Amino acid sequence: MKNKNINFRPMILFMVLILTFLPALTLASCSASSQNGGPLIKNQSLQKITVVLDWVPNTNHTGIYVARDKGYYAEEGFEVEIIQPTEGGAADLIAADKGEFGISYQEQVTYARLANPPLPVKAVAAVIAHNTSGFASPVEKNIKTPKDFEGKKYGGWGSPVEEALIRALMEKSSADYSKVQIVNIGASDFITSVQKDVDFSWIFYGWDGIASEVKGFKINFLKLQDFDKNIDFYTPVIITSEKIIKDNPEMVKKFLKATSKGYNFAISSPEESALILVKNAELDRQIVLPSQKYLAAQYQADNPKWGIMNEELWQNFSKWMLDNNLIKQSFDYKNAYTNELLP
Amino acid sequence: MAVKNNKIISNLYSLIFFLLLVAIWEIICRTGSVPANILPAPSTIIYSLTVNFKLMGLHILVTVFETLTGFAAAVFLGMFIAILMDGIPFVKKVLYPLIVTSQTIPIITVAPLFIIWFGYGYLPKIIIVVLICFFPISVSFLQGLGSVDPDLINLLKSMGAGNYQLYRIVKLPAALGGLFSGLKIAATYSIMGATIGEWVGGKDGIGVYMLRAKFSFATDRVFGAIIVITFLSIALLKLIELIEKKSMPWTGYDKNEIIA
Repeated sequence: MKNKNINFRPMILFMVLILTFLPALTLASCSASSQNGGPLIKNQSLQKITVVLDWVPNTNHTGIYVARDKGYYAEEGFEVEIIQPTEGGAADLIAADKGEFGISYQEQVTYARLANPPLPVKAVAAVIAHNTSGFASPVEKNIKTPKDFEGKKYGGWGSPVEEALIRALMEKSSADYSKVQIVNIGASDFITSVQKDVDFSWIFYGWDGIASEVKGFKINFLKLQDFDKNIDFYTPVIITSEKIIKDNPEMVKKFLKATSKGYNFAISSPEESALILVKNAELDRQIVLPSQKYLAAQYQADNPKWGIMNEELWQNFSKWMLDNNLIKQSFDYKNAYTNELLP
Repeated sequence: MAVKNNKIISNLYSLIFFLLLVAIWEIICRTGSVPANILPAPSTIIYSLTVNFKLMGLHILVTVFETLTGFAAAVFLGMFIAILMDGIPFVKKVLYPLIVTSQTIPIITVAPLFIIWFGYGYLPKIIIVVLICFFPISVSFLQGLGSVDPDLINLLKSMGAGNYQLYRIVKLPAALGGLFSGLKIAATYSIMGATIGEWVGGKDGIGVYMLRAKFSFATDRVFGAIIVITFLSIALLKLIELIEKKSMPWTGYDKNEIIA
């Protein structure tokens, strides 16, 4: 009979190895992340704040990265951690206290506040002064007006707002909405999906539109706000919870002061800001730079300062959502946002 | 010796077939019939992987950390529950159906909820790894424990062996084969589990990196990350195999001999 005793030594060795290896690894990853951006001011009294983005970091978020790396947040006494969530906005996470501030959209704030039970989130700053999104398609599909949507395939992510938008735009130019086919393309990117499965999609011009330009991929772009002023809604917006505003308005004010400094820097120095963003998120420099230059003119646009939201835009879109059956009851938009905490 | 040669030759076949596939893939991409953002050529992927590897350093470290922590926790938990179920039939009756049911839940659908429950740190990723690894470990270990010849147990009992001796002398050695096959299955899935957890949200990790690469329309970088994940999974698998060989010196001879 051969040796039938188990040799426990290798297993024990492996476990010991893991147990000694893990703390070292934790330390390494922790120190690496604190090096990864942020001023090297070692201040124990800094208050930790978490900002939850709406998805992958991109040029919509540049001001926040600038404010962190240039030390604007540290000046106000904050140490800011930026989190990349799954696609689709931060409203539920901010309502669940998983971060102090988040990136969301006007329609999401609307849905969140009308949910049952309501998610108490509030918009405190508009990242971009107007809606820069729209429907894009490769030029060879020849989609130049909403009328051309007829007989085409739209690639979306299954939100009721998309359907309502397409229907509203088409009805306005007396086209037949029933002739559009709506497909869920999930998280696949614009350039890939319009090359393969669908004809047009809804994009932010500042990212996908610029990326198409950079890659020499010719597109037709129908900007929403050009067709109907009612659908010029705020996207994206910075949100926080009602509770934080009530308990700690000073903190919100300080955070917005630093953030607005970051966005103002992004407006005046798009090149340097682009580099800060690229350093923090592994994005394509070739897209970030032109995108940053495009957005530099859009962040503030015709507003007196960055972050301001106009009542008219909130009112128009809330009414439009009600008229198009996207919401069942009229929305108290006045409490959904505030400009009062801006610097 | 002859056995070893056979093994090398069969590995060689698989390698040649793999290289052939890669060559066909490369040729298809070179002809330009597929746009690079839909399917990049293998050479492009390797090139971008070498260029971007430094960027991935921290992300890889984080993913490995989450995987190993989750894996270690799953090993302890899986073995503990398996011994409990083996020793007390009532526990098995209560737990076993639950454990099987838990495996039917698609991880990708609950992963976003874990973020809401457990935050953005490493915890939700580690929990996903534990959930994925726990099942194969506990079930194959349990099966191994139950596979012992009852006569052998009766013999030991008649010789006055206690529970501890029963496990130490008969049950553990017999169940070790099962345990290791469970460990190997778990190892191959573990890195993937951590990546799924990162994909739905986090600060760093290979999943976060992949999402950013995809957002930059850089399919070559996404594939580069896939190669890294594959490599890490195989490395963990090989490590388990090595430990298996060292722990069970009798394998590779005659397996029946241990039980007989």
